[in-house]
Formats: sequence, C-alpha cells, structure tokens
Amino acid sequence: MNLSRRDFVTKMGMGMGALGLGTLAHAESSSPLAARAPHFAPKAKRVIHFFLNGGPSHVDTFDPKPMLAKYAGQPLPGEYLRTERKTGAAFPSPFQFKKYGQSGLEISDLFAKTAAHADGIAVVRSMYAQVPNHEPSLMLMNCGDSVQARPSFGAWTLYGLGTENQNLPGFVAMCPGGMPIKDSENWQAGFLPGAFQGTFVDPQNREVQKLIENIRSPHASAAIQRRQLDLLRTLNAEYQRTHTDPRLEARVQSFELAFRMQMEASDAFDISREPAGIRAMYGDHVHGRQTLIARRLLERGVRFVQLWHGAGQPWDHHDNIEGNIRKHSADIDGPIAALMTDLKQRGMFDDTLILWGGEFGRTPTVELGDKGKSKLGRDHNHYGFSVWLAGGGVKGGTVYGATDEFGFKAIEKRASVHDLHATMLHLLGFDHERLTYRHAGRDFRLTDVSGDVMREIIA
Amino acid sequence: MSFDLIGLPPTEREVEQFVAVRNSESSAAITPLIDQMLANPRYGERWGRHWLDVARYSDTKGYAYGREERRFVHAPAYRDWVLGAFNRDMPYDRFLLLQMAADQLVPADSPDLAAMGFITGGRRFIGVTHDIIDDRIDVVTRGTMGLTVACARCHDHKYDPIPTEDYYSLYGVFHGSDDRLVPLAKMDDAELKKRQLKLADTMQKRRDEAAARLRTRVGDYLAAQFELKKYPEEGFDQILSADDLIPGSVRRWRDWLHTAKDSAHPIFAPWYALAALAESEFSAAASNEIARVIIRPNLNPIVAAAFATPPTSPAELARRYGQIFVEAEKQTNAPGATELHAFLRTANSPAVVPDTGIVNNDQFFPFAAIEELWKLQGDVERRLIDLGTPAALMLTERAPEPNPRVFKRGSPSRLGDEVPRQFIEAISGEKREPFQKGSGRLELARAIASPANPLTARVIVNRIWQHHFGTGLVKTPSDFGLRAERPSHPELLDWLARRFIADGWSVKAMHRLILSSAVYQQAGGTSVSERDPENRLLARFPIQRLEFEQLRDAMLAVTGELDLTTTGKSAGVLDSGNKRRTVFAYVDRQFLPGVLRTFDFANPDTHVAVRHETTVPQQALFFLNGAFSADRVRALAAKLPGGDDKARVVQLHQSLFQRRPSDAELAAAQAFIATANAEAEPVPQFRKTQWLYGTGEYDAATKRLKSFTALPHFTGSAWQGASAWPGSKTGWAQLTADGGHPGNTRAYASVRRWTAAGDAIADITGTLKHEPEQGDGVRGFIVHSRLGELKVASVHQASAVMAVTGLEIKAGDVLDFIVDIGGTLGYDQFLWAPIIKTRDATWNALVEFGGRASHTPHLTPWEQYAQVLLLSNEFAFLD
Repeated sequence: MNLSRRDFVTKMGMGMGALGLGTLAHAESSSPLAARAPHFAPKAKRVIHFFLNGGPSHVDTFDPKPMLAKYAGQPLPGEYLRTERKTGAAFPSPFQFKKYGQSGLEISDLFAKTAAHADGIAVVRSMYAQVPNHEPSLMLMNCGDSVQARPSFGAWTLYGLGTENQNLPGFVAMCPGGMPIKDSENWQAGFLPGAFQGTFVDPQNREVQKLIENIRSPHASAAIQRRQLDLLRTLNAEYQRTHTDPRLEARVQSFELAFRMQMEASDAFDISREPAGIRAMYGDHVHGRQTLIARRLLERGVRFVQLWHGAGQPWDHHDNIEGNIRKHSADIDGPIAALMTDLKQRGMFDDTLILWGGEFGRTPTVELGDKGKSKLGRDHNHYGFSVWLAGGGVKGGTVYGATDEFGFKAIEKRASVHDLHATMLHLLGFDHERLTYRHAGRDFRLTDVSGDVMREIIA
Repeated sequence: MSFDLIGLPPTEREVEQFVAVRNSESSAAITPLIDQMLANPRYGERWGRHWLDVARYSDTKGYAYGREERRFVHAPAYRDWVLGAFNRDMPYDRFLLLQMAADQLVPADSPDLAAMGFITGGRRFIGVTHDIIDDRIDVVTRGTMGLTVACARCHDHKYDPIPTEDYYSLYGVFHGSDDRLVPLAKMDDAELKKRQLKLADTMQKRRDEAAARLRTRVGDYLAAQFELKKYPEEGFDQILSADDLIPGSVRRWRDWLHTAKDSAHPIFAPWYALAALAESEFSAAASNEIARVIIRPNLNPIVAAAFATPPTSPAELARRYGQIFVEAEKQTNAPGATELHAFLRTANSPAVVPDTGIVNNDQFFPFAAIEELWKLQGDVERRLIDLGTPAALMLTERAPEPNPRVFKRGSPSRLGDEVPRQFIEAISGEKREPFQKGSGRLELARAIASPANPLTARVIVNRIWQHHFGTGLVKTPSDFGLRAERPSHPELLDWLARRFIADGWSVKAMHRLILSSAVYQQAGGTSVSERDPENRLLARFPIQRLEFEQLRDAMLAVTGELDLTTTGKSAGVLDSGNKRRTVFAYVDRQFLPGVLRTFDFANPDTHVAVRHETTVPQQALFFLNGAFSADRVRALAAKLPGGDDKARVVQLHQSLFQRRPSDAELAAAQAFIATANAEAEPVPQFRKTQWLYGTGEYDAATKRLKSFTALPHFTGSAWQGASAWPGSKTGWAQLTADGGHPGNTRAYASVRRWTAAGDAIADITGTLKHEPEQGDGVRGFIVHSRLGELKVASVHQASAVMAVTGLEIKAGDVLDFIVDIGGTLGYDQFLWAPIIKTRDATWNALVEFGGRASHTPHLTPWEQYAQVLLLSNEFAFLD
C-alpha cells in the first residue's frame, strides 16, 4: 500500500482503466441463462446434491472406526475437542460395516443399497468446517462463506454454465414439507443476478401450479395465449422499427419461452408419465418421488438440483441416534441407489456429478444431557466428517483422506469446503480461481481465497 | 420525465403541457413543469426508493430463531422518513447526519429519530455482533462514500489504501452503541402497557438474579481472565445451566479491568500489580509487588487485609478476590465493606447485567431466561406492529467502552493491537485525531457529511445522474476505489459536486440543473454510434426499461386503481387488495416474494448500488398468467366505452401509451377482436361456488354463529387472515382443503360455510379429527341457519363422526361447519372436510376447495387485447 493519500484522493473514482470482469462477461440483458462453455472441457455437465441437513454421522455411515468399540464407555484419550454441547465417552457405531465392490469400499448397513454402486463412489473422509453450529456451516457448505451473504454453489454454476433448457428453472432446490434451516439463503443468488437463484419446490405438492409460480394460466387457454402472443409480436415489431436496443428483442423472446415453459414444466414434474417399474424402483414415498423428479429435470437439461431431506434439520441426531438415523437412511438409501442405476442405464451417470453430505458430521463420543446423562446421540462435529461424490469424472471406489482413529478430527489430507468446491468446479470445467464476479469493488469467487482441487478423486 | 421523477406515467394534462413546452422551443419553458413534478409528493416515493436500495431496506430481520419476532417494528417509519426527507428536500448533509447520529442531534421525542433505521435496518445475523457491525460499516462506507471498507475486516484492502486498523476503528464506533426501540407516537393501549410492564418486570427480575449470581462468583470470573481464549468475542455462546460461567460477563470483567486500569485503584490495585505477572515468575515476584501496593493509604481495608500475605499463583489471586467480595456481602458493617458493596452494584460494574434490553444483553443470561425474555420482547413488538405504531430503532451510546482491538484475519479469537476510534486515514490524512466524544459516531457522521470529504458529494451526485440516465458518470456508484472504471466525464462530475455543495446540498436543485440541460432534453432514438456503442457519451437519450415498482405502479395507474395512501404499514406486494404504490410493499428479506426476485428488485440483504437487469421467462409468466395482471386488464376493459370498437382501441392506447393508435395498430386490434370472438371456446362453466371460508364466534346460548367474516387471503392452498400467518387479527385461523386451524380465541372460530342454491333433502357426512397429543383439542359444530345446532363434538387426539341424515334444506339456507379451540390455544390443527349429498348433487369440501383461481373465467376478447398492450415493449420501456 504505497499510495499516498493524495494519490488516492486524486485517483479515486477516476479509475485506472477497466481490468475486465473476469473471463465471463455477461450481457445480462440478453439471456443470463443461455448455456455457455466453461474454461476447459468439463467432465460433468450437471449436479445433483443430496443434502442431509442436520449433519449425518460419518462414523455410522462411511467412516468405520473399530477403535470406538475398544474404548466403548470410556473417555477418548488425548485432547478434549469442544463442540456445541458437552459429550462424554466413546460411542461405537451400532451398525455393521462391510466391504463392497471390487474396490472393497467400506460402507455401513445403513446404505447397503447405495453400496451396490461402491465402485462408482469416492468418499472424502477428511472434510472439516469452521464451527459446530448449523447456520454458519450450512452457509459454508452451500455458499462458501459461513458469515457473509454469498451466492450459492448452484447460483455460481448457473452463472458459469447457464442452463441447457430455457423452459425450466436452471437450479431447483427441493425439500419436502417446508424449508431447511436458513431457508432460501441456502440457494441464494447473493450479489449475482436474481435469475441464478435456486427455485424452491416442495415435492409434497403434486400439482405443477403449486410447484412453479404462474406456470398455469387460470384465465386463458393455450389457443388464446398463442393468439395474444402473435399480436404482441406485431406490435413489438412496429415499436422496434423506431427503437434500437437488444433488450427489446430479448423481451420478445422471453414471452415465447414462457409460452413453451408452461408445457415443458408440467411434463417434467409429472412422474405419473414414468413406467410403473421405474416408479417402483425409486419408491412411492416423498423421497422416491423427489429423486425421480430430479432425474426428469436433469434429463431435460436442468443444471443443478439440490435434494434436501426435509424441513428443519432431520439429520440432527442429538439423541437416540440408532433409531433416528436408521429411519432417515432408509428414506434415501433406496432412492439414491435407484438414481445411480437409472442414470447408468440412461448413459447419464458419467456426466452427472452426485454429491452426498451434510453441513458437518457428528461426534464419535456420546452427547450428554442434563447432569451428564447420556442421550444416546451424537453432537455436531466440524473437526472431521465425510462427504462422497460419484459420477461426472469422479474416480469411483476411492477413499480420500482420513480422520483420527476415533473419527473426531480430520488428520490426513485435510479437505476444506473450499477444496470440495474447487474440485467440483474443476469437474464442471472451471478453474475456481478464474470464475469470478465483480462486486463491491472486488472480484469474488466461490472459494474465497483458498481451495485446492482434490486430484486423487478425479478419474 | 414523469416516470423518472415520480415513477408514474404522465397524466393527459401533463402530456399536453409538455407538448406545449416542446413547441415553444425555449428550453426555459420546461422549468415550471419540472417544479411541478418536484413538488408532487409522488416524487419522494420514487426517489426515496432509490435510497432504500442503498439502505438495504427490509421489513424483516432475516433469519431469526423462533423465539424472536422476525419483523422489524421500525422499518415502515424509516421508509416514511426517507420518503418525506426527499419530498422536503432536506439538505443531503443533514440527511446523512440524522441517519447516523440523530440520537445526538435532535430531541428525544423527535420524529427524526426514525432516520437511524439506516444503520439498524440490516440483517440481525441471529445476534452475532461482528456480523451486525460489518453490515453497518458496509452500508455507511459504500452507501455514503463509495468506499469498500468491509474487505479490510480480514486483511488490508487489496487495492485501496484501507488498512485493517481502519476497519476496526470504525468497528469500535459501532460497537459503542446499543440499539433501542422507541415508539414515536404515544399509544394509549392497555394491552400494550400490560405487555411492556411484564417485559420490564421480568427483565428486572432476571437481571437481579444474574447479578446476585455474579456477586458470589467474582473469584471465578477473575480466574477466567487468565484463560480468555476460552471466551472468544461473542461467538456462539450457549449457556445451558445457570452454573456455567457466563462468557458475556467474563468479557465484561475483561473490559472493565481494561478501561478502569489504575495502579492506585482502591480495590483492584493488587490485581493490577499482580495479574500481569507470568505464572512461572509469579510466586517470586508477588511479594515485592504486593508490598508496594499494600501500603497505599487509599487501599480498601478488607482488600489490604486479604493481601497481608502475597498470593502464590494467579489462581490464588483470583480466589482471594472472590473471598473478599463474598465476605463483604456477609459483613456489611465491616470497615470498607460499603465500598465493595457499592462497587458490585454501580451501573457500570462488571457484576451487573446492563439495562439495555434483550437485543443487547442476551449474552448475560442463561438459556431459559433468554428464551423467556425474547418471547416477552416479541409480545411487545407484535403489539406495536399490530397497532401500526411508528417507531425508531435508534442507537444510544454505550459506556464505558474500551478501544476496539483488531481481530487478526477477522477472527475474534485472535486479538491484535488496540486501535483508537477515528476516521479513515485515506480520507482524513495523516494528521487525523481520534474521535473525542463517546463512541465517536457523531464525529464520524460529520466527517462524512462534510464539504471537505472528497467523496461524499461526488458519490451522491453520481447516484442522481445514474438514476436520470440509467448509468452513472462513474459506472460503479458504490465503488469509487482505484479499481473502478474511469468516469465518462470527470470534470463534469467534479463540477456537479461543487455546485451541489454550493447549492446547500439540495437534491432538488441538482435535479433542476440536470433536467434543464440539453443532454437530458434530447430525444432517444435509433442511431448507434460505432465509436460509442454503449452510448457512454450520451449522444442520444438512452432507452430505459421500467423497474418493477414503475411497472406495477403504472399498471395500477392506467386502470385508475392506484391507491395513493402514503405512510404506514407495509402490505404484501401481490395481495389482491393492495393497490398502493410498490414502495409500500412488504419486503421480507428472508422470504422475498418470487415476483420481486424475478424482476431484479434490490436484494435487501446488502447495500445495492445498481440493480441487475435481466430478462427471464418468469417475468413473462407473471404478465401472462399472474392474477395481478389479469385483474388489471379486467379493470381496463371495464372502463371501455360501449359500442364503437375504434373508440375502445383509442382509449386503451391513450391510457397506456399516451398517444393515438396508428391505422395499422387499429386494424390489427380489430382483426384480433374479430378472431377472438369467432374462435371463442365455450367458456368452461364453473358452478357458482357454494363454499365460503371465514371466522366467527359460536354463541352457546342461541346455538348459532354470532357473525361471519370472510377470510380475505388465499395462499393457493389455504384461506387465512393475511399473507402472513398467523394474521394480526385472525391469528392462526385458517382453512385448507382437508381441515384447518381455529383462531386464537373462541371469538375467531374457523368457519366453512355452505349456502344452499335450492330446496332438497340432504345428508351430511364427514369426520372431525384432532391428532396432536399436546394441547386440549378443539370443538366442532354443524349449525343450520334456521334449525340451529345440528351436531356438536369435542375432540382431543381423537375423531368424531359429524353426520346428519335427512336434513331438509331450502334455497338460501346456510350450513356452518365451525371449529374453535378446546380451551386454550396450542396444537389445535384439525382435519374436517364435510360432504353434502342430495339426490341430484354432491358438494365435497375437499374437492371443491379453492381460491378464486379455480373459478376464474377466461378473459374476454377485449380483456385479452388489453393484456397484449400491457405486455408490449412500449409499455415496459421508456424512450
């Protein structure tokens, strides 16, 4: 900072010339959602994110820790790690782990169906976040910053890639029964244009007009609207004879798009058009339905789909984890396995990036309630947790990094959320340091000022 | 110009005046027209909104815990203050001063206190102080000076000379103030008084209890001073039991010890002498140090006695102080005890909880008290909102406050150097002096709202220019930093800024100057210069797309429906009854209505300098399919004269475009109407609905409903009192297809009403079901308007069959299906969808449930035509 105040004052607002808006300058007024090529050839073209909101326990699912059995009921040796609440003795997992596939990836019984695809899955066991609290950790996982309002991963993806189907929202967030904690901040556009915001859908609604705002006209048939749009085109053409501005034509086109969107959206969300066998494979319950809707959306060119488990934070297993995690895993194990099978049979598995995880993991020690009594549950754990990726350029059957022998803290090849985002952006064809947006005087990126691509999980 | 200055299309008379001016070919002739528009109160509603973008205006706090009321009480009053300030042409320097420091500039009952909503209207970040302050620093520095200081929270600014120290100097300014909610009107409301009293009493009680605990644990709090790392700055402290040390009090002790530091302190001289010693040298050095302080004549005798022998460790030092205070509390007559007693009870003592309200002092309470106090605070706030009380969320000075310390890399657990509260060096120069008075907030405000500040005037002049021409002279109006693009006309910007200050910071004078210029009065058009494709040099007047507010307001204006009520409560932007200007729409930053997001409304989370401008099909869907658009075209068509097609087309063009249609447009219109008439599909005939949804009170004496009031708001899946649920009046009352929820008291039972269209014999079937285990259930009734009560049941986690057979009904008879609360409110949701059958027909409450939408007839050909004109580019763009 060698500038004198005088230099600054005389130069401020006078600029030093434009330095360019990163590599992706947008003419927002044309179509912000038009499909665009990324920095280099992508391995994945679309993303589906299973968000286990509340924080799934890694030592009960994808990170086996036999040492916990050895210390069962005793305090863990070494440093006491402070989490949100008090925890006590080692709490071994009540679930069995088995080796699956040629890779021998270890997965617990909770995800036995998903495990059939073990050779397509890369587990990152060395994730860590910043604090043991839901709100900031949700923001970190979704938007790359635990504190400030930043665009979500999905919004960045739309900013970078646009979307393949202009008749559907490019980024859809589904959550049965209401919103997760932090509501729509989880899929916010932040300082990016509102068009990149995720569209929230509650899959408990079955009628398309309840899924997407204004998608059906209550006061005109398609024939009436077609006639109206034909007249509109004539009037607009007359206006454009004397007015030149690219935004005029963009708006003309948007009406034609809207007209088509009404048909397409109804079709995409209508799973009754699927064969009975497919519907049965996903399961006739809300998680099966939302996963099947997700596949229909991805198939039609939607860029980013996020599937939340349910309103609030269902995976927040502070007490009685055994019964609760069994129930919640059973909700999604079948649908996830079905989706992977279905994507494979449609040839979409290899360019669809699947992410599974929550905002953090859970303690390997038991949570204590009033007067130090065990709650048979686990507290939040941001020191170490697992996520897994599959499809779209991911090297299956891989384990990346490790937690300590009890699963409390990531110690080997520690992976930050920025590393995860950098890796996913890489698979989508982006150098995460160059996917930037100028806001408040600075070029922002999803990964803030850090992030390393986890090359070992890339095929 | 009308859209530009007042945000509404011109009236016919204004168009005539304008044409007359243009024909006179004298540029001065426009002056009266400009003055007329600037004097119109609609002006503030347009230009005030530009400032609300800067001020990240919202009616809600953002994500909040369930215990807290999530709406702001003060937001509407701040919005109205801004609009009024623009209308009155309040000098801009005064405008800024009041928004930052009205508490120190105007009397305690002044309506100008509302101005501080500028600072206090940001997200609440679930109470995390650092984030709240960061938001405030950002809105002030970018909003007033186009300076991005918030980057320096974690590291020195990358491009501009803003070091981290300057960020924390400003941090200290804002940390030095508490938020205080003050009603700006005297409310004579017994319920409000009751709730305020309850809150005050409980707060007093909880503070007293907390203080009593703090007094017995001085030793523990002092011991905690040796391990402050465990108590990072206001993080996510969660205190579950009253036995835990309160981190807020640990820090309060820390700050008190820091600010009161005095080696001759009558009570804490031994502490100051010993606490700084390292543990390893403690026992060796303590006796020398203690010998020096023990002889001080002003040392409290109890303290002196306790330190007759030196302590052997820091822990021992803390423990002795603990004993000193515990003893003094017991033996109040001992010499020196009064002093110790008083110390623990002064307002600034670290052993008391400051009397600042739960929003600022919740960190000092255990969990249960926090929940309780927030709930009571919420009760007061809800009442104030219901009463529509104008209120200010003002800042008040906090004392005593230590100087801020830098958080290394933005982390509160890594404290760096102490810095004074002072202005930004890059602006004030090296010779700056630390602020002298209190938090320094007024001094900060004066340094900003000063002619000597090289940025403030330029930034606002550039904003004014931006809104007149679509783009500022500096394209990044809130970033005047070194990385900003060079202004298109630097000398012009400087000249305008000087004129602005010379004209007494008058915004209206600046409008007059710009509007009477040749560049503003030139025509728009088609010629695109190859040398200036972006038209930065303004060789022609740029075409502008209407913003959402202008569009919605214009749609209401051209139908003659616009409600010009000013000030007061916000209303849902698409509520069917809301025909007020869009600036008065409810802005919920946590659940921003889709339509606002779709139309690039300013993101209320953060300061917005330039709105995005996107074109997406969701905007088209709003125009094509939305109820708001359909309602407007129906209103337009309803005003059309009878008979002559041509006259109708002319009238529509006049009211929408302020011009006559061309011959081609006329022909196209007539052809459209003819085809639409010829090809009209048989309109699906909806049976006139038999069902109504409302609230009322069941009268046990007459066994009839006392009154019936329709629920006005349909969400798409439920009928309720307002878009917000619970509604302010009807509470939780709600009806859905398969059930609902009664209102909060028996005066607001939920009532599903069916009216007979003819005579018949009917059977009623259905089951009333209440599922939750908690609460005390609900009561259900079927009441006939002539025959009285037909069926009654009380259910709690149970079902009751609600069936009647062979009921004789006559045309006009009314059947009410009533549910009210069992006794107390809570867990009262129920399931009940009755079916009424006659020999010829069935009415099924579940199947036929719906809002207006399900009964909407198709638009008529003229309505369809009017809609096309509303969709046109000519309506959405300005030239």
